[in-house]
Amino acid sequence: MLRLAIKNLVQNKARLIVSVGGLGLALTLILVFGAVFDGAKSRLTVYIDKAGADVWVAQDGVETMHMSNSFLPATVTDEVKSVPGVQEAVPILYATDIIQANGKETLSYVFGVPDNAPLGKAFAIVEGASMPGPGEVIIDHSIAASSGLKVGDEVTVLGQMMKIVGLTSDTSSLASSVAIVRFDDFTKARGGDNGTISFVLVKVSAGESAAAVASRISEGVSGVTVQTREQFAAQERKLVMDMSGDIINIMNIAGFLTGFAVLALTVYVATIARRKEYGVLKAIGTRNRLLYLVVLVQALLSVALGLVAGVALTLLLSEVVPRFNESMVLTLSSASLLRVAIVSVVIAGLSALLPARQLAGLEPVAIIRRG
Amino acid sequence: MPNAGLRVSHLTKRFGSGDTEVVAVRDVSLEVAPGEVVLIMGPSGSGKSTLLLMLGGLLKPTEGTITLDGLELSSLSENRLPDIRLHSFGFIFQDFNLLSALNVQDNVAIAAELAGAGRKAAVAKAAALLTELGLGRRLHFSPEKLSGGEKQRVAIARALVNNPALILADEPTANLDSSHGHETMRLLRDIASERGRSVVIVSHDARIKDIADRVLWLEDGQFKRVVEMATDPVCRMSVERELAVTGVRDGETYYFCANGCRDEFLGAKAVPV
Repeated sequence: MLRLAIKNLVQNKARLIVSVGGLGLALTLILVFGAVFDGAKSRLTVYIDKAGADVWVAQDGVETMHMSNSFLPATVTDEVKSVPGVQEAVPILYATDIIQANGKETLSYVFGVPDNAPLGKAFAIVEGASMPGPGEVIIDHSIAASSGLKVGDEVTVLGQMMKIVGLTSDTSSLASSVAIVRFDDFTKARGGDNGTISFVLVKVSAGESAAAVASRISEGVSGVTVQTREQFAAQERKLVMDMSGDIINIMNIAGFLTGFAVLALTVYVATIARRKEYGVLKAIGTRNRLLYLVVLVQALLSVALGLVAGVALTLLLSEVVPRFNESMVLTLSSASLLRVAIVSVVIAGLSALLPARQLAGLEPVAIIRRG
Repeated sequence: MPNAGLRVSHLTKRFGSGDTEVVAVRDVSLEVAPGEVVLIMGPSGSGKSTLLLMLGGLLKPTEGTITLDGLELSSLSENRLPDIRLHSFGFIFQDFNLLSALNVQDNVAIAAELAGAGRKAAVAKAAALLTELGLGRRLHFSPEKLSGGEKQRVAIARALVNNPALILADEPTANLDSSHGHETMRLLRDIASERGRSVVIVSHDARIKDIADRVLWLEDGQFKRVVEMATDPVCRMSVERELAVTGVRDGETYYFCANGCRDEFLGAKAVPV
């Protein structure tokens, strides 16, 4: 019967292409959206991941960078430095800002980093300097390119005109980008030194675990929330997930319904088209469960082919899309694949239900005599 | 014939009830011996198909019993009938009803596989049977590529592949031209005489009388006339026993289409009856 299921499926090539193609596109919709989101998520925490800090110290109660403001007394840096196991402690300033140039505005996470700081400085430099001087800024190269900017041009950052001295890569996402300025310029831009900083970046001594040092800082310094790099990045991603959850769910439901509609319709039509043949099989003694199996196998094979097509298309898009827009990164995660595979199996099962009902009610007598 | 062949006793099938009740088959009894071909004829709506479907376990009788090789089918639960249909019946349909996605060989092999044969054995069995029926060169053809006669031969092979005791044929020649119709009739005759199967045919096609041992005329759900058939031993023509010229040789009665055949057969020893 497996042979019959496969032969039935591949006999009508046009129907197979429509079925697998439609399903593949629907699954691609789910996969691509997930990949775009996963890509954006990985870029969202790029500064946290690559600034070189093992531990992040923030204002008490502040667990994320996004949608939060952290104000710490500048003196906290020295307190942190004195905690055993801390090798480096660097204060940074942080704000969300709009970078303006050539009439284009780009949301950006702007960081103020002390001169020659061992932590928090720009990374993945593709052109120019790695540390901005007075009145200078380092921005993402794809943001610069999309605004028609290059090293030496000027942009407005934190309300100040600043000269671009360096360009970084992989530091932009669909939602934002990273910009680095001098700590002093940041201070000046916000109206002078008010004795506060945003975060303290901590590098732990060799042989120390980040978690242990974070715990010690927490115990030894008052008014702070201390997290390891991984914890801080996870909190950041969780926040964005929570904020975007509804949109993701809507897109997943849309993809699921589209895939389900395409497959259910094609499996149903394919079953109806062979109603007489199934009637004959019943007449010669085929049990209903074997006929259900034929329909289910057809649905599962269609879904498997659709999934392969969807994954292939998503991988292709993940290669092609960033060439046109570097800020749009598509990351096909195994979690996303697993989710879509489960969705696919559910689609196949549901799609086979209606035809199975048709087969159960099929009277071989009526089919055979009708001719 | 206590346990062999098909035995139908007082079979009745009613549809609906009260004012809308229709009696499609009314108190029909019939016995078909192994190797016998029975043709059931009758006008449209006479109950032929209903009878055939009941014989094939596709429709439950309201009253009466159907026994095949000692097994009473009418008392079996619905759950057991598919297995009985697979092993004990061979169905031949008017429209051939082959599976379009499978090739000729697989159309036959699938019935064997459904009955429990392994893939290899089923394919070998199908190939042997098809070759025997003259389709050895068509094994891997799609059914679409076959002529009507070839399609019906594939259907016959499918009906035979599980060695059923009873072959049920529903208008097997209706969609065939004269030549292919005759070919199918000959095959059905051979199935009965050479393989010892009981064959029940429902048809409007009077040509099938030529291969039948008996012709039953069904009208208003009842057998109205039973015609015993015989084959003229000289010209091989099928003749109705009741109307034929008869002669006896060595104590056995023979039936002839005309005096000429009788005289030729009996020669000088002619003993007209």
